[in-house]
This record gives sequence, C-alpha cells and structure tokens, in this order.
Amino acid sequence: MRKTTFSILFIIVVLLCFTSCYSVRIVSSQGTVNPDPMSERADFYRDKMIIELDTVVKASAFTDEVSFIASGTRCKSGKLHSVEYKNSFGASLLYLVTFGSRRKVKIKYVCLKTEN
Amino acid sequence: MAHTTTYAKTSWDTLHNNGPFPLKYLQITELESNSTLPNAIARYNDATLEIQQLIQQALAHNQGFRAYGSRWSMSSIAHQKDRLHYNGYMNLDIPIPVDAVRSDSPYQVENLFFFQCGNTIKEISQKLSQSGKSLKTSGASNGQTIAGCISTGVHGSALDVGAIQDYVVGIQLITGPKAKDVLYLERHTKPALTSAFVHQLNATVIRNDELFNAALVSLGSFGFIHGVVIEAEDRFLLHRYVRKVDKQLALSLADTMDFSSQVLIPEAVDRNGKPLRPYHYKVFINQYVNDPQYVIEVMYKKPYVTPYPDPFTIINKSLYRDLIHLLIKISEKYPKTIPWFIKKLEKQILPDVNEETLGTLYETFWDAPYQGPAFACSFGVDHKDSSKVLELLTKTTLQEGPIPGIFAMRFVKGGKATLGFTKFPITCVIEIDGVLWQKTNKLISLKEYSNKMITVLQQHNIDFTLHWGKNADWSYPGLINYMYSAKAEEWKKFRTALLRPELARVFSNHFLESTKLSDSVSVVPQDLIVSL
Ligand SMILES: Cc1cc2nc3c(=O)[nH]c(=O)nc-3n(C[C@H](O)[C@H](O)[C@H](O)COP(=O)(O)OP(=O)(O)OC[C@H]3O[C@@H](n4cnc5c(N)ncnc54)[C@H](O)[C@@H]3O)c2cc1C
Repeated sequence: MRKTTFSILFIIVVLLCFTSCYSVRIVSSQGTVNPDPMSERADFYRDKMIIELDTVVKASAFTDEVSFIASGTRCKSGKLHSVEYKNSFGASLLYLVTFGSRRKVKIKYVCLKTEN
Repeated sequence: MAHTTTYAKTSWDTLHNNGPFPLKYLQITELESNSTLPNAIARYNDATLEIQQLIQQALAHNQGFRAYGSRWSMSSIAHQKDRLHYNGYMNLDIPIPVDAVRSDSPYQVENLFFFQCGNTIKEISQKLSQSGKSLKTSGASNGQTIAGCISTGVHGSALDVGAIQDYVVGIQLITGPKAKDVLYLERHTKPALTSAFVHQLNATVIRNDELFNAALVSLGSFGFIHGVVIEAEDRFLLHRYVRKVDKQLALSLADTMDFSSQVLIPEAVDRNGKPLRPYHYKVFINQYVNDPQYVIEVMYKKPYVTPYPDPFTIINKSLYRDLIHLLIKISEKYPKTIPWFIKKLEKQILPDVNEETLGTLYETFWDAPYQGPAFACSFGVDHKDSSKVLELLTKTTLQEGPIPGIFAMRFVKGGKATLGFTKFPITCVIEIDGVLWQKTNKLISLKEYSNKMITVLQQHNIDFTLHWGKNADWSYPGLINYMYSAKAEEWKKFRTALLRPELARVFSNHFLESTKLSDSVSVVPQDLIVSL
C-alpha cells in the first residue's frame, strides 16, 4: 500500500516536473543579433553570443521585483535581441517552500550587435 | 587600432555541420571603438592595415588565409585548413558624400552605399531603411554577410532583378601586405566613385569591366574583400501569396516565364484586368506525393505606403530538433520511411496555403531559425529547361533515394559575373533542401547522390551550373569546364594577373584546388588589369 502511494506520488512529481518546466522566448523583429564565432551550440543560440543567468535571488519582505542589467563585454551594445525565461518545477517549489524569499531565476538572453 | 584575437583550433564547421574540417587558427578582428576613432574612413583604413598584417603573417608562415562571413555556405568553399578569418565584427558603413560620385556616373548618389564586408543582409537592410531605401533582392533569409553573398552568388527568386552581386557597383580588395595591394575595382563603363574619394581609402582605382566581373563572384579567392559599394532603391512592399495550383500551370509558368495570359491572383491585375508580372515566383515540389497540384509562392512589388498590417506572426514554432534527429536515424536504417515522414512534416516544411502577407523585403525575407545539420543541392538551368530538369532530378531522387529533402524552383535574372551561376537570361534554380544524413548500406551518401544528379544532367546534355555555396560532388571530373568552359579560363586569367603567385596560394583552399580553379594561367597579357 505504502509502495503504491509512493509510486503514484513519484509519477505525479515527474509529471509536474514536465508540465511546469517550460520556457518562453521573446525575440525582437529589429536589430541584428550579436554573433559568437566561437559558438559550438546546436540550438536556437548557435552562432549567437548568449548570456545565461542561473541563480537564486534572495528577496526580502521589501523586495517587489528584481532587475538585471544587460551590459558587459558580451553585451557591448547594451541592447536586447531576445530573452528566454525558463520556469521549472524546482523553481516553483523553492518559491513555495521559502514563501517567496528565494527565487530561482533562469534566463538566457542575447544582445544586439554593436553598430559601427 | 583594430585588433585581432588568434585562437589555436583543430577544427571548424559550417553553420549546418557540413564538416568538420581541420583548422590551425581562427582569427577574429574587432574594430577600434568609434569613441576613440570617430571618423568612419579612419577606422576603415585602420582595419585595412590590420588585415594586411594578417596576410603578411600567413605569407611568412607559408600558410593559407581565408575570410569567411556567417559560415552559411554548405560546401567547403569558406574553409581553409590553416587560417580562417571571421569578418562578422567588421560592420562599418561609410557615408558617400555627393561630391564622391563622378559626374559621368549612371548612378544616383542617394542610391549608393558603402558597406564593410562583415555587414549582414539584415544589418544592411536596416541601415538602408533609415534612408527610406531597400536592397533590390536578397536570399530567402538575412543572416549572410555582404562579402559572403557576392562570393558565392546568393539569389532570391526575383525573376527580373538578378542576384545580390548584380547590384554591386564597386569592390574594395586587399590582395596583399603592400600599400599597392589595396585596390578599388569598378566597371569602366559604369563608374561610381571619384578617384579622390577612393584615395581617401588608401586604395588604387582600377576601372575595368572584365576584371570587375571576374572579381564579382570570386569564391573568396581574389583576396580579402574589405568593402563593397551597392546600388539600393527606394523602399517597396511585397505582397506575398501562397497558393496551390495545377502542376501543369506551375510548370508552364516556369518554362515560359509568361505570366501575362493567366490570372494567378485575382487582385494582382492592372486596370485592364491583365495579370501583373510577379516580382518573385517559387514552386515547391514534394517529389514523394502524387498531388496534381503544387504549392507556389508569388510576390508582387508595391509602392511603400504606411500603415500596413504587421507581417510578423507573433508566435513562431519550429520543429523539435531531437525529433528530426530521430527521424533521420530511422531513415538511415529504413529509407523507405522517408516519404512518409516528409508527408507528415509537409505542414511544417511548406508555407501555409492561402497565406498572404504584405511587408518590406527586410520583413518578407527575415530570420531563418537554426534547424540542425542540413544539406542543400542547387542547380542552375535555363528556365526553359525547368520542367524537364525537375523531372530528371526528381526521378533520380526516387530511384537512388529516397533522400530526406524536398525540391523547390526559384527564378533569377542573369548577371554579368564571370563565374555567376545565374548565367542564363533567366536561371531556374532547382534545389533540394533537407536534413543531413549519414551513408548506410541502404542509403547512398550526399556526394554520391550529387554525383548521380550531375551525371544524369550531363547524359541529357543539359547546360547547368551549381550554387557555389551548396553541396555537390565538387571533384566531379571536368565539372567546371562543363559548366563554364571559356569563362572559367577567363576567371583564372584575371586571378593570375591580380595576385602574385605566393598570394594566389595564400588565398586558395581545398575547394579551389579540387575544382582546379586554383591553377594559374601561363600567358597573361600585360595590360589585362589596367584601369580603362
Ligand atoms: C539558412 C540558409 C539559407 C540560405 N538561403 C539561401 C538563398 O536563399 N539563396 C542563396 O543563393 N543561398 C542561400 N544560402 C546559401 C548562403 O547564403 C551562401 O552560401 C552565402 O555565400 C553565405 O554567406 P556567408 O556570409 O555565410 O559566407 P560564408 O559561407 O562564410 O563564405 C562564403 C564565401 O565567401 C567568402 N568570403 C566571405 N567573406 C569574405 C571576404 N571578406 N573576402 C573574401 N571572401 C570572403 C568565403 O571565403 C567563402 O568563399 C542559404 C544558406 C543557409 C544556411
């Protein structure tokens, strides 16, 4: 009996993992993507200079929202081409069990190429 | 100073994994920042010096040096086993002032634009749009660099316009490390820039039609193309329709290019109800189904007026790459499943029938999503031979395959480039695109497949060419001679005259050697490349 309950629970967790694991990407219709000639990726980001953020943000009762700044050597133009946000079961769970004080952030973004 | 980072590498690949190919060094040049050097010409000249140094290094090490753009070519044309140079960050545009255009030039100054080699079609379109201008034509997508495009002869399906190199009016080449190796070429019968302006680029002008035509589609082998001057035109809109029409009609339009006797799109007619001539005509063919109809795409040119509906679909879906990979693995083992898979994927591969959009050239031929390892074989034939060649090639594909791809036909007005593969008055480009597979005991290799197609066309005495940037059995005996005969000799003659022997070696590669285009010509008239 306990074994069956455990199996059902396991299946539910796995299913939840799949259904709550999704990503959404927004892509600009203007501007040229910042290229990455060293790219060896085999996905949407092939040849694009991708910047990945995979971190846990600590929030306090006074924190309403979190911003990241697109800049640096990999984002010289400081302008965005695309942003992909990924949500996962683990992230949702973390949010729930920490009552929102720990927020897992998984973002991929690509900047625009610098105009010369 | 512009600076170059050199990475030691062991291999290099194309965007669509048609390699890997061996490599020693990958070099990436970045320009001096415009805050340090605000003058565009100064930064351009600074980059010239940097490229000359790289050529000097290659010479000193007795190695090859080859520029590449977006690595979108699927043949090995962009590969060099020693040193490859990535141009993507060299994306300056230099304003052409009114007094920089010769008074006897047939071009209007507001239509002339100077772009550095690494500008992509997308970047150029955006820059032109800021002046209310547009490219005359592009390929089906926008990620290639301008130098990469002209080096292989990129085309769309603009039947009365031509390919990209056909609106290039000037080319700035770096052929070696010496000051005299910086050249600016244009046609003597159609000059554009004043010598005074060209001298600001530290370049020597050569106005010579034949040299210019040879350098236009140079396969990356006439030196480093640093900049190009193009002729743009006023921005326009394209009204695009996708329809299904009877096979016979689609093919007869291809064979005749006569659009005047059949109303294809009821609203695409003139005041007297006569059908308009389309700007673009494309036919899609799934050789594995016996459908009495083909999907066609036609576009009509319209004046640019705003507002017009947003041509972008908000949600874009692309095929799941792992699924494609799985299908290919199954197909390699069980090739008979290929037609079934293609039928199932038809909806994703072909445009939606009855789809209609209105947009600029930039918006119509937009980004292509990366779909994993891919192949493309592309033949150029006289449009009058379209249906005949299509039949021969699809038959070969059914006999030798099935091959995991489908056919399409596009149509391009002929140009003047010596080795342009759009060499017929209107070239029908018959292409098969698909996912890359591995040879198995049940499925022939891509090279063997290409070999069979070349053989069948030769057996039927079909005059044809091949897209330089696409897959083919490039070492097929006598291939170049069959396609270009005297034109190939002429091209080699100009290359021999332009490059000192040691530099001809630097700018050569395996592709050029296997096609025998790297051979020098023993007798070259002394005045062959003089300015006229
Ligand atoms: C998704 C996709 C869509 C395509 N659609 C089309 C299409 O619609 N029509 C069409 O005709 N083709 C099409 N092609 C083929 C492709 O456009 C051509 O092969 C084109 O030449 C690639 O341009 P590139 O900038 O990537 O050049 P590369 O592939 O990097 O290089 C091509 C050639 O240019 C030379 N070169 C590049 N820069 C320089 C320079 N500065 N100086 C000297 N030589 C240089 C290289 O040495 C090489 O010989 C497509 C390919 C892909 C992957």
